[in-house]
This record gives sequence, C-alpha cells and structure tokens, in this order.
Amino acid sequence: MADNWGFVLTAYGLAAVVLVAYWRRLVRREKELRGRSRVAPISGHPRSEPASRHPL
Amino acid sequence: VIRPIGGVTLAALAAGLVMAFGVAPREATQGNVQRIMYLHVPSVWVAYLAFAVVLVASIAYLARRSEAADRVAHASAEVGVLFTGLTIATGSIWGKPTWGTWWTWDARLTSVSILFVMYLGYLLLRGMIEDRERGARYAAVVGIVAAFNIPLVHFSVYWWRTLHQPPSLMKPGPGTMPDVIVAALLVNFAAFSLLYVYFVAKRVRLLRCEAEADG
Repeated sequence: MADNWGFVLTAYGLAAVVLVAYWRRLVRREKELRGRSRVAPISGHPRSEPASRHPL
Repeated sequence: VIRPIGGVTLAALAAGLVMAFGVAPREATQGNVQRIMYLHVPSVWVAYLAFAVVLVASIAYLARRSEAADRVAHASAEVGVLFTGLTIATGSIWGKPTWGTWWTWDARLTSVSILFVMYLGYLLLRGMIEDRERGARYAAVVGIVAAFNIPLVHFSVYWWRTLHQPPSLMKPGPGTMPDVIVAALLVNFAAFSLLYVYFVAKRVRLLRCEAEADG
C-alpha cells in the first residue's frame, strides 16, 4: 500500500491546530476574566481626574 | 498546580510523537498511514474517559448539589466533545486511503457520531438555560442518559457487522500487536490522558472564575 504521508500529516496537523486553538481560547478567556477582576474595584472607586485635583 | 501538569503534558506529547514517528515501525499492511492510529485511538480513549467522568460527576451533583461536581461535569463534557470530534476527523482521514471512503454509515461510525451530537446537545442545553441551578440539574440528567451510549459505541463492532475493525487493545484476551506498537500506543494514551487532566483542570478553574465574576 502507498504510504499516504499526506493523510498522516493532515491528521496530525489538524489535531495540532484544534488542540492549540482550544488551549489558546482557555488562556484568552482567563486573561479577560483576570483583567475584569482587576478593573472592577477601580470602577467601584473612581479616581478623580487630574484637572479636578486641588493644587498643592 | 496546573502549570506543572502542562509542562509534563507537553513532554509526554513530544514523547508520543517520537514513539509514533521514530520508534514504531512502518506497518506491513497499511503502510505509514497506520501512524494515524497513535492519534485516533488515544483520542477515543480520552473521549470515553471524559464522558465517564461526566457520568460520575453528574450523579455526584444530583446527590449532593455540589457546584464543584457540576463544574467538573461541564468541563469534562467540553473536552470530551473536542476529543470525539478529533476521533471522527482522524478516523475519516485514515478511512479514505484504507477503506476508499471518507465516511460510511457503519455501526461504529454512526454510534460515535450520535455520541458526539448527544454531548454537543448537553453543552447547548447548558448554554440555553439562564438559571444556573436548573441548567446544571437538566445537564446532569442528560449527562447520565448519554453515558449509556459509551458501551454501545465500544461494543458496536461485536454486536453488528461493521467495516470498522474490532478493538486491538481494549479487549479481553492476549494481544496480537507487536510490543513496539503497543508501547507507542500506551505512551500516547498516557500523553492524551495528561492533556485531558490539564484541559479539565484549566476549564474548571475558568468556570469557577466565571461564576465568581457573575456573582
């Protein structure tokens, strides 16, 4: 039987793309949530704008 | 804890590739296309494992209403669907040069497709119901019912006349494969099992963070 390396490489290439894409999706979502939790307390206590600060 | 598992998983996957392409010989009948089996068979093993975990976690959720069990079931179902999809795709790629067709409505292929669609439905159901507790309860019932399809998939090659060959590894009695092929398969089984643990751990943590963020 012919070796059909094209089929072998397609199968492994597809698996690599799918698994890496899923991993990246998890990492991206984790970063989003981390970013949101960092922003949340700041938005709860807004900082004053520089223009509205009292001069020393 | 998750990061070291990721490192070990990466090393195990590299070892699996070395075994599949460097150590395992070219198969006498099928040629090099048989090397797809080092990807296809561990993928279906992980799918079985993932859905068995969904079954156990779903029972645990219904018994104790434990949110942790629900998160494990959710994460495991998602990873199981991913690996079932990979099983179908890689099997189809192997089938073209070996059987001469990408797809046939054979008992094994059909039952594994039903398994895929059932757990896809499980994930869709979870996404459709806004009330988290109700969604978890319904999903747990589906998770238990869908698990009955796992033995159907595995034994379909014995119960019906199929084009798909019977299992070479996960079967009773002495094996017929050369030791080096069994070793390559076992290394890939271990690597894919670690990948499953890594993905589920990461997804469970994410689900917990999402739940905390939603309040």
